Amino acid sequence: MSNYRILNTRARRVDAVDKITGRAMYTDDFQRPNMLYAALLHSPLAHARILNIDTSRAEALPGVKAVVTWREAGTVPYGVSPARYDETIFCYDKVRYVGDEIAAVAASDLDTALEAINLIKVNFEELPLVLDGLTAMNDGQPRLHDQYKNNMCAEVHWHFGDIEQGRRESHIIRTDKLTSKMQDGAFMEPQSVLAEVDAQGDLIMYSSTQAPHYVQRTLAMALQMPLHKVRVIKPAVGGGFGPKASCSTAELATCLLAMKTGRPVKITFDREQVFLHSRARHQFFHTMTTGIKKDGTLSFLDHHCILDGGAYASFGIATIYYAGSLLGGPYRLKNMKYDGYRVVTNKPACGAQRGHGAVIARALFEVQLDRLAEELGLDPIELRLKNVMEAGETTCNELFVSSFGMREALEAVRDSAAWQTKRERAGKTHRNGKGIGAACGFFVSGAGYSIYRSRTYHCTVITKVDEVGGGVLVQSGAADIGQGSDTVLAMITAEELGITLDDVRVVSGDSKLSVDLGAYSSRTTLMTGHACREAAQDVKRQILSAIAALLSVPPETLDLKDGFLVSLAGPLDISELRREYLREHLGFTDLPEGPQLTFAEAGRIAFLELGAIVGTGKYKPPPLGGSFKGAAVGTSPAFGCSAQVAEVTVDLETGRVTVDKITGAHDCGFAINRTQVEGQMQGSMMMGMGEALMEQIQYDTKGRIVNANLAEYKIPTALDMPHLEAIIVESHEPHGPYGAKEVGEGAIMPVIPSILNAIYDATGVRIDELPITPERVVAALRTGGK
Amino acid sequence: MILPRFDVLTPATVTEACALLAAHTAAGVRILAGGTDLLVELRRPIIPQHVPRCDGCPTHPEGAVFSTIDCTMWNSEPLMAAGGSVRAAVKPPAFLLSLHKLRDLRGLQKRTDGSLRVGACTTITDIERSRDIREGWTALAEGADNLGSPLVRNRGTVGGNIANARPAADTAVPTIALRATLVLRSTSGIRTIAAADFPTGPGKTIINPGEILTYIEYPAPAKYSGSAYHKLANRKALEISTVGVAVYLALETPGGPVADVSVALGAVGPKPLAAASVGPVLLGRIPDETAINDAARAAMEDARPIDDHRGSAWYRLQMVEVLTRRLLKTALARAEGKK
Repeated sequence: MSNYRILNTRARRVDAVDKITGRAMYTDDFQRPNMLYAALLHSPLAHARILNIDTSRAEALPGVKAVVTWREAGTVPYGVSPARYDETIFCYDKVRYVGDEIAAVAASDLDTALEAINLIKVNFEELPLVLDGLTAMNDGQPRLHDQYKNNMCAEVHWHFGDIEQGRRESHIIRTDKLTSKMQDGAFMEPQSVLAEVDAQGDLIMYSSTQAPHYVQRTLAMALQMPLHKVRVIKPAVGGGFGPKASCSTAELATCLLAMKTGRPVKITFDREQVFLHSRARHQFFHTMTTGIKKDGTLSFLDHHCILDGGAYASFGIATIYYAGSLLGGPYRLKNMKYDGYRVVTNKPACGAQRGHGAVIARALFEVQLDRLAEELGLDPIELRLKNVMEAGETTCNELFVSSFGMREALEAVRDSAAWQTKRERAGKTHRNGKGIGAACGFFVSGAGYSIYRSRTYHCTVITKVDEVGGGVLVQSGAADIGQGSDTVLAMITAEELGITLDDVRVVSGDSKLSVDLGAYSSRTTLMTGHACREAAQDVKRQILSAIAALLSVPPETLDLKDGFLVSLAGPLDISELRREYLREHLGFTDLPEGPQLTFAEAGRIAFLELGAIVGTGKYKPPPLGGSFKGAAVGTSPAFGCSAQVAEVTVDLETGRVTVDKITGAHDCGFAINRTQVEGQMQGSMMMGMGEALMEQIQYDTKGRIVNANLAEYKIPTALDMPHLEAIIVESHEPHGPYGAKEVGEGAIMPVIPSILNAIYDATGVRIDELPITPERVVAALRTGGK
Repeated sequence: MILPRFDVLTPATVTEACALLAAHTAAGVRILAGGTDLLVELRRPIIPQHVPRCDGCPTHPEGAVFSTIDCTMWNSEPLMAAGGSVRAAVKPPAFLLSLHKLRDLRGLQKRTDGSLRVGACTTITDIERSRDIREGWTALAEGADNLGSPLVRNRGTVGGNIANARPAADTAVPTIALRATLVLRSTSGIRTIAAADFPTGPGKTIINPGEILTYIEYPAPAKYSGSAYHKLANRKALEISTVGVAVYLALETPGGPVADVSVALGAVGPKPLAAASVGPVLLGRIPDETAINDAARAAMEDARPIDDHRGSAWYRLQMVEVLTRRLLKTALARAEGKK
């Protein structure tokens, strides 16, 4: 099907063996001589004024090497969005959630560090709490931050087209609501940090982060260090899903302790701390009014959303924008109004999580489409097909879709899941506990703009041919957090240079190697992929020009293919070059022979001619989006889209929902690695299913999490997983390398609504609160599911 | 997970275990079997567990303040205990008494009278894999099937699951329904107690300091009998039940009236409960649809559920009826040899 040797195949991941055999080094695996262990003092109260912090008893404990509070750390504000820097390394005036960090200790062992934490005396004056996101903005509520009047961290008011016109054109208008709960990323590896200061005074931090570059900037800013003296290295990372995309107090405090003691310092979160730190999925309260014409054409959407973001802004501004902007697609929708409010409450801060901001909004909108289809007497998939956008169209909020396999994806799941047959069968036994539902999704393929305002390239890649010939080293700041970006970079390089994957080594995730904005917004394959391709082509050009000059042929008649330098214009006389190479390798066996120069020979000879063969690549998106306020969020060089069909069985007495099968199709433009694309789709289905059916952070009345562990915070087990079918759609994105675009987040978008729609099909009742626990199903069944 | 410091005692015989237990009671000792509950319970809290309240003293002239460390003049109850995952602050024991060397306490013995003696240190996996248990005491096998995950079942023991006395314990509920007797041993001898009378509240039992649960004895099932257990939860493994119900049902003859019935309820009260109201409704009746529905409704009267993060009292009560009805039917089919 494709003309590629390596791209579009199921090549084995470059890190597979290391991870399977346990050889891969995660941050917590690193040990250093004289290493200290850090512990953090977390606030036990959700909202209180700090009157006094007394660390004297902790400091006196034998084995304790340093105790730091805001007095040592300073109070430089930081955060994610420069417009909302509202955190300091340690709390100094107030604590704002149970878990807020007050102090840190470094000691010769972990036991001592923890003991010292308990010796720090803090006097608090308790303050009234704000725990309910819906009422947090009301007058008279206690205020968390001086800068957020009415606890309003960010609000968005958009109006595209004319919704009044849309109303007038509508045949049916309906309003629905959907609420969700805060959720956790539940990645396998808890956050871990190892910081040290080298003999030159450089701060080097190893961290299980998704975004070395942003973390480097925040460390330098908050610790007041020159940027070039701060180096962030990301070892193997066991998943992130968003919560690891920003700098944390654990990172800052560990660095501070390393600077203060001059010794390496490590901290690894307990699972409970993962929950306390959170920065995961917000709580959403969506209300949508949607109108549709008699022929099934969408006429308008009026969308209102409140986001409970916990104690700090984190990614929240982007979240509230994404919640609105990503409903611009994948359907033609001329009129859209959006009012979004992101409030702060005395709970752990929420941030970005897979499908950033858009997942619950998508769920409600797709439920609305099904309800409108039912009222119109149309098949839900037919209604969607009537409205899907095509490549070349622009949404009402000025997002341009340059490739778009939405129709193809929808038809693929319809046919593969035997939708027609099952709908008809379900129609007869409707509400008998078996149901089928469909939904679509739409997502960015890399954020159009960096988090801080800048003309910065979003990534650079530096590729170098080994001076001895044969091998190629790719250096990148990109963060492989398990999604497989190192493999993608290796495959692109091998493809371009006509060599095997084994000839390529990738070193990545190090801020000293190159700049890369990191693993978020599903950006790496498209953006770093571009830069990687450019770097490889640069290398190739240098090799070919060196050899062409020696052979006195035009460089454009030469190519690198299947491990050889090949001529496109008749046979070459390589004998002189071959002789030189053989002369260099007296005593070696297994030397090259035959009529063509090997890649190893070509690389070696090019080095002899030119010196180091180093190619560089870079990428930044072109200017994107409209000129309205907040237009930047949601822009992307390309958009992924997806469709899914879920089949469920509902126990009508206990309310227990079993997902029997999910069939999904995702348009990733072009699959660089087919197995990895399917893996992202399957992972998304699993994660979306957990969020739909089980996952919820639960709080008591004092703002404490009651289920801060993976025993009580439920994610699906292997036994819960249904059969998953992943169908790859390739629309060949003109702005992506080789036509590739995202799959990492987009594939999660249709999961929750397809399950919600299937449950309705199975039971005849609608659930308007996530997760869909058995109890909520039973309650809906008994009340008729209003 | 970070554990507090403790020393481990490793007796080689039950007699020695009882002696060591008695000798260390004053210093603080807990019994370690599989450790799947105990070690989790002992893990070190991440955030300060006690925030005592001081209404004003020389060190806290500010008045009405809260401190993460002690003050000699606290004059009222702590403002809060525990943070993060809410759990009572437990004073870590100085000693753990490990039962792992007591081979006698691991394994099953089917006796000539048809009864079954199960050592308290028998693993959940051993229970799950026993053909005898699956045939004669099916509800127990089904409790074992549903407990935790394979890793937990390989370590966890039936004695530990019962003695830990959680209201939802997956083997305790069938053990009560199957009318087992527990054998407790101490330096002063042996005593036995009905499984239903053993737990007294969440994590609490009638066991005395110095006593070890050594055996669980399951009486022989009646000729035409069957039993079943069902755990209702949000996922298929690694769960604590929202509601768990176990049923034992015996018929006088196949197709005949109910000779004996016993129902136990999990997670709907402070401890696993015997549903005493079911017997009077069902005994002597032909177990038809109406009789079973009546019995299931009767079981609701014995439940005392509360609202918590796993489910509301309302939902749990409804599910007691649904599960009891379904399980009576399953047990009936088994009693009639239909499995």
